[in-house]
Amino acid sequence: MPSSLSTLKASIPRALCAAMALLFVLAYPAAAQLSFKPTAESVHEDQLLNALKEGDKITGRISIPDAMAASLIQPAGRDWRDFHRSKLPIIGGVAIIGMFAVLAVFLMVRGRIRVHDGFSGAKILRFASFERFTHWLTASCFVVLALSGLNISFGRILILPLFGPEAFATMSAYAKLAHDYLAFPFMLGLVIMFLIWIKDNIPGKIDLQWLKQGGGILFKGQHPPAKRFNAGQKGIFWIVIIGGALMSVSGWFLLFPYLPANVTALQFWTVIHAVIAMLFIAVMMAHIYIGSIGMEGAFDAMGTGEVDLNWAREHHPLWVEEEQAKGHAPSGSTPRAMPAE
Amino acid sequence: MKVFLAALLFAAIAAVGVSILLDAIQEPSYVAFTSGGVRVGDPGNNLIGPG
Repeated sequence: MPSSLSTLKASIPRALCAAMALLFVLAYPAAAQLSFKPTAESVHEDQLLNALKEGDKITGRISIPDAMAASLIQPAGRDWRDFHRSKLPIIGGVAIIGMFAVLAVFLMVRGRIRVHDGFSGAKILRFASFERFTHWLTASCFVVLALSGLNISFGRILILPLFGPEAFATMSAYAKLAHDYLAFPFMLGLVIMFLIWIKDNIPGKIDLQWLKQGGGILFKGQHPPAKRFNAGQKGIFWIVIIGGALMSVSGWFLLFPYLPANVTALQFWTVIHAVIAMLFIAVMMAHIYIGSIGMEGAFDAMGTGEVDLNWAREHHPLWVEEEQAKGHAPSGSTPRAMPAE
Repeated sequence: MKVFLAALLFAAIAAVGVSILLDAIQEPSYVAFTSGGVRVGDPGNNLIGPG
């Protein structure tokens, strides 16, 4: 009987292992359910997708140069698509329509901000030709970038039903080309703006005083002190520089996919690009409003480059004093040349 | 007005210049993402194009 004894001894460990395996399967039924074979059970796609947790992905083996093509299924892509299809249009809609509503209410309540002492007729140079060139270079590119970018988020909803699929597809293709290539002169404009205006946009104590008085635009007759740029304009400057830098970096990663890392990093930067863009557009709407219909005499600064002396005294009194000390502006009291209204 | 028009003209010229530059230094996707064995000779026409 020694042989049967040795057989019994050998079978005990096997039986123990089998019992433990059975115990494991009974104790963890979820683990047992996950052990399906993708190739044998590929028809059960829902089961396959639902089994993938965050960060998981199904990969294959490939021989083509694009190694990332080996990723077959990555559930994070569904979250990213859901963000772009449903959440981003809501963020953009609230930001842009909300800003439009705020500006409309502000115009109705406050009205157009007039020059309190009326136009004097005397002029002072506010922006030189190169500064205005840089502003309009950046601004014109921004308008095209904004409209072509909004087409990506809202075009299917708003424009496709109006134009039809053929016209919408052609328009979107050209808009995408304009978006890609006008991004470069836009980035150039950002860099030049940063270099030529940084010295006048360093925040100071005087800006707190300007902010405490609401910039003098909330209530009539208030004219808080300001140098060449007031606190509001400094805020716009830094929003443009920081927002523009984020848009540029993220846009660069969209133009050259996988430059940052993998598809997950690419998805991250597309979200950054889209969200910053919506907020950027909303802020620029306020900038355009106050620089045109919102404030009398303001557009001249970027139109002809020269502003009325009374306008400059009311909105940038310290800057006017500096310019007068340099002999760049008419000095003394300036008679009222025409009524404000 | 002249400054504004000059800015528009410069933006357009810069955009065209960048497009030419990028077109010259970048590979088309059918070259960058395929190997020679599967690369088609006349992309867009010899497999899925007319005729």
